[in-house]
Amino acid sequence: MTESGLPDTDPLALEAEIPTSPMTVHLGPSHPAMHGTLRLTVTLDGETIVESIPEIGFLHRGFSKSSENSTWHQVLPYTDRLNYVSPILNNTGYIMGVEKLIGLKPTERAEYLRVLGGEISRICDHLTCIGAIGLELGAFTTFLYAMEARELLWDRIAELCGARVTVSWTRIGGVASDMPPGWEQHLRDCLPRVLELTNEIDTLLTRNRIFVDRTRGVGVISGDEAIDWGFTGPCLRATGVNYDVRKAHPYSVYDRMDFEIPLGTRGDTYDRYVLRLEEIRQSHRIVLQCLDQMPPGPIIIDDWRYALPPKKEVFGSIEGVMAHFKLIMEGIHVPAGEVYVYTEGANGELGFHIVSNGKGKPYAIQVRGPGLPILSALPRLIKGHAVADLIPIFDSINMIGGEVEQ
Amino acid sequence: MSDSGAVSTGGGQPGAAQGQAQIPAPPKMVKVFVDGTEVQTDSRDNLIEAARRIGVAIPYFCYHPRLSIAGQCRMCLVETSDAPGRLVPGCQVRVKEGLKIVTTSPAVKDNQRGCMEFHLINHPVDCAICDQSGECKLQDYYMEYDHQPSRIRVHKLNKPKREIFGPQVVYDAERCIMCTRCVRFMDEIAKEPQLAVVDRGTHSLIATFPGQPLDSQYSGNTVDICPVGALLNRDFRFQSRVWFVNKSPTVCTGCSNGCNVYAESRGEVIYRLLPRRNEEVNQVWMCDEGRLTYHASNEKRVEWARTGRGDTAASVGPRIAVDRAVELLKPLAGQGGIGIAVSAQCTNEEAAAAFQLGAQVGASRYFLGSRPQGNSDDFLIRADKNPNTSGILLVAEAFGVKLEVANGIDRVKALVAMRTDGLPAEKLARLEVFIAIAQNEDAATAEADVTLPCKSVYEQDGSLINWYGRLQRTWESVPAQRADSAAGWSWAERILTGLGGSGPKSAAAAFRTLAEKSAELSGLSFDQLPEDGIVLEALLPRDWPARAPRPLPGAHSVRGPQTTPPGMKVGDEASGGSR
Ligand code: SF4
Ligand code: SF4
Ligand code: FES
Repeated sequence: MTESGLPDTDPLALEAEIPTSPMTVHLGPSHPAMHGTLRLTVTLDGETIVESIPEIGFLHRGFSKSSENSTWHQVLPYTDRLNYVSPILNNTGYIMGVEKLIGLKPTERAEYLRVLGGEISRICDHLTCIGAIGLELGAFTTFLYAMEARELLWDRIAELCGARVTVSWTRIGGVASDMPPGWEQHLRDCLPRVLELTNEIDTLLTRNRIFVDRTRGVGVISGDEAIDWGFTGPCLRATGVNYDVRKAHPYSVYDRMDFEIPLGTRGDTYDRYVLRLEEIRQSHRIVLQCLDQMPPGPIIIDDWRYALPPKKEVFGSIEGVMAHFKLIMEGIHVPAGEVYVYTEGANGELGFHIVSNGKGKPYAIQVRGPGLPILSALPRLIKGHAVADLIPIFDSINMIGGEVEQ
Repeated sequence: MSDSGAVSTGGGQPGAAQGQAQIPAPPKMVKVFVDGTEVQTDSRDNLIEAARRIGVAIPYFCYHPRLSIAGQCRMCLVETSDAPGRLVPGCQVRVKEGLKIVTTSPAVKDNQRGCMEFHLINHPVDCAICDQSGECKLQDYYMEYDHQPSRIRVHKLNKPKREIFGPQVVYDAERCIMCTRCVRFMDEIAKEPQLAVVDRGTHSLIATFPGQPLDSQYSGNTVDICPVGALLNRDFRFQSRVWFVNKSPTVCTGCSNGCNVYAESRGEVIYRLLPRRNEEVNQVWMCDEGRLTYHASNEKRVEWARTGRGDTAASVGPRIAVDRAVELLKPLAGQGGIGIAVSAQCTNEEAAAAFQLGAQVGASRYFLGSRPQGNSDDFLIRADKNPNTSGILLVAEAFGVKLEVANGIDRVKALVAMRTDGLPAEKLARLEVFIAIAQNEDAATAEADVTLPCKSVYEQDGSLINWYGRLQRTWESVPAQRADSAAGWSWAERILTGLGGSGPKSAAAAFRTLAEKSAELSGLSFDQLPEDGIVLEALLPRDWPARAPRPLPGAHSVRGPQTTPPGMKVGDEASGGSR
C-alpha cells in the first residue's frame, strides 16, 4: 500500500524492505535441545530474538519439602537429583553442611575419596556440556567422543558407588564404600583415554572455522554484569573473574592439591566452551594427585551416634542393633542450628542452607543451585541474537533442570 | 507411699499414691540451680523433677513419680553442692534451698555410660522382635549416654523367656533390668503383691508365686511402667510396631469410671488402649478389662447399612436404608405405638438425638438398655459396666422422658433402638417394625428391619458422664472411617429429616440442644469442654469407694489442660517417663 492508500503498482516495490511484525514461538519444554525441560517463549522479529521468557517447573521435585520429611540421611538421594550429571559433588556439599552443624570431621581417607569422586563427576559434567554444544552445532562426532569418555568414567563411578547417577555415596562422617580392589588401576588405565578423547574434541572444535564463527562473540556478558546476575562457576570465570570456591575458600583437601583456575577473557559462548575443556584437564590433575596422596584408613568415622555400626555388630550385639535401630527409625540427632555451606559444583557455587531443630529430621533445607541465577540471565544473553544462536548459548550455560528447580 | 515408709517425692505429678481425699498442703517453693540455671521448685521434689522443670533430663529407669524410691538402677546419679566429688541418686535426694545440681560433669557422664554398659551385659539381641522397640528406655538412653560397642567377650547369661505371668502379661527375664517398678506397683498401687524378686545378683529375676499367677485386675499397668520390653501385654504382643500407630486421646468405655485413655490405631483398627493421665479419674492407671474394650470397636461390627433380616437382608447403602426406615415409621408416627430404646453405652449426643426422634414420631414409651453389672473394687473399677448411665439419665430428664427397663419392649408395635445393648432378642422378634442403630452384630440386629452401622465411642465426637458426674469429651480418635458407619446422632438426624423434622448436624449441635434443655449443662459449650472434663457438682455422690480418685474439693470444677512436662514424650506421663 502506498501512502495515498492506492494499490502499489510499482514492480520495484517488491524489493523494498518488508514490513514485519514480531512473532512469538515456543521452544520446549520437550524440544530436544531444551535439556532439562525448559520452556522458552521467544518473541522474534524475523530471525532476531527481541524478547524471551524462560519458564521452569517441569522438573520440580519439591526438594525442600521432601527433605523436611526425611531423616538426615534420607535427604541424600534427593541431592543426587539436583545436578544429576555430577551427583557426588551435591552429596558432598550437603553432607558437609550436616557435618558442620554437628561439628564433625570425616576421616582423612573419606576426604580424599570425596574429592576424587567429585572431580571425576566434574569431568563428566563438563564432557556432557561440551559434547552437547558440539552436537547441536552439527558436530555429532564430538558428542560421541564425549559420551565415550563419560561412559568410561561413569563405569568407574558405578564400580565405586554401585550406581552411575543415583549414587548417594557420601555419609555423615565419611563415604559409603571404599575403592574396590583393583579399582585404582582401572581408573589409572582409563584416564589417559579420557584425556585423549578430550584432546580429540579440542582438535575438532576449538579451531574449527564453523564452530568459532558460531560461538565467538555470541552471548557475551561482562564480568561485572555476570556478578550482578549472580553467576558463579565456569560461566563467571569465562568472563575473566577469578572465583572458584576450591581456591577462594578451600574446603576438604583442596588446599593440598596443585591445580590452576583457567580464566576466559570475553565471556562469550566460545570462552565458556574452552574454559570447560581446560577444567577437565585440571580436574584430571586433581584426580591423579588424590590417588597418589590418599592415605589408608577407615572411610567413615567410628561413632555410632552418626555412623551405622558394622553389620557384624548389628546382628551380633545388642549395642549394635540398638544403634542401628535408632539411626534408621529416628535418624541421627543433629544439634539445633543453622548453617550455610558452599562448595564448587560443576556449574558454580552450590550452597546448602540447612536449619536443624535438634531432631532426627531437618527443619528446613534450601539449595543455592548455581544454575538458577545463570538461567535467569538467559533472556539477556540471547537478546538481539539470531534464533540459531539461542541453542549454543543455552548449551554453554549448561542448565540442569534438577538443580535449577528444587 | 507413706504407708510403705518410703520417701514421698510428690513434685511433678502431685498426689502420687497418697490418700485421694487429702487436701494437699500448698507447695513450698525453694530455689535450686540445675547446671547453673536457677529453678523454682516444690520443696517435695526430688532432683529429677526439679531438673525436669526446665527441661533438663536426668535419665532414670527405676524411679516412677507414683512409686516409692528404690535406688535400683543408678542411672540417675548426679553431683550436688552438698556432696562435692560424690555422686548422689537424683531420684532419692530431695531439693533444698540453694542446692546446686550438676548433671553434665565428667563423673556423671561416665557413670551414665558405665550404667548402660552394665545394664546391657546380659541383654539379648532382641530389638527386632521386641514389642518395646521404639518406646524403649534402653534404646533411648543407649543412644544418648553410651553409644559404644560392646566390650563383653563372654557368653551372655540365659534366663527364662516368654514366662506367662498371667492373663495379660508375659515376662522375658533376659530383657529385665531389675528396676522393680512392677513389684512396687503391685505392692503399692494394685495392693495385690503378686510379683517378687527371686534369686541373687546377676541371676535375679522377677517371678510370680507358685500357684498364684499375676491375675490382678491392674496387671496391665505393669507393662506400661516397665521401662524395657521385659513385661509385655499378651493382647498387643506382635500386633503392631509402635511407630506405626496413632496415639489419640479418648475415654475408656469399660465401666462408669470413665478412665482417660489413649487409643492407638492405624487405619480403622485400634491396636491398644493406654491410660492417659487424669488425677481426678484414674491418675495414670486403668484396669485390664478396660484395656480390652477396644475389641468391640474392631470385631463383629455392623459394617454396612442394610434392610431386611435373615435371608432377605440386603446391603443397600445409607441413603436407601434411611429411606426405608422413614417409610416404615411414617404410617405409625403420631399413633402412639412407637418406642425408643437408648443404651447406656451411648454418648449424650446420641441419646439427645434419639429423644428428639422420639418427640418427632410421638413415641409412647422410652427404654433404657444396658450391659449387666459386673465386679467392682474400691479403686477404679465400678460395677456399672456402662460408661454413660449418668449421662443418659441426665439427658432423659432434660427431655422430660421417663425411661423404662428394656424388658418391656413388647408393649410397643415399633421400636427404634439407639445401640442395642441389653435388648431382649426374643421380644424383638415380635415387633412389627424394628430399626436398629447398632455398633456390633448381635441377637438384636438379627431381628432388625433396618440396621444402621453406628460408630464406636472411640470413633466419634461426643461426651460421656462418669459415675460421679464428670462430663468428659470423646473424639474421633481413629483416623479412618469403617464402612458405612456414622455416629448415632447422625443416623437419627437423617431419619428426622426424612420424616420432615430436623436434627443435629454435628455432635456440637446435639450438645447445644441438650444444654439448652438441661439445668446441669446450661452455659456449657461442646467445643470448650476441657480435655480432662468438667465436674457437674449437682451429680456428685455422697459415698465414695475408699481409694477412688476424686475431684479436689473447692477447686474441682475445671482443671487446666493436661500438660506433658518438658523432657517427656506425649503420653509418657502415665508410664512415668518410660515410653
Ligand atoms: S527391651 Fe529394649 S533394648 Fe531390649 S530388646 Fe526390647 S527394645 Fe531392644
Ligand atoms: S519386669 Fe520391667 S518393671 Fe519389672 S523389674 Fe524388670 S524391667 Fe523393671
Ligand atoms: S537409682 Fe535413681 S532412678 Fe534408679
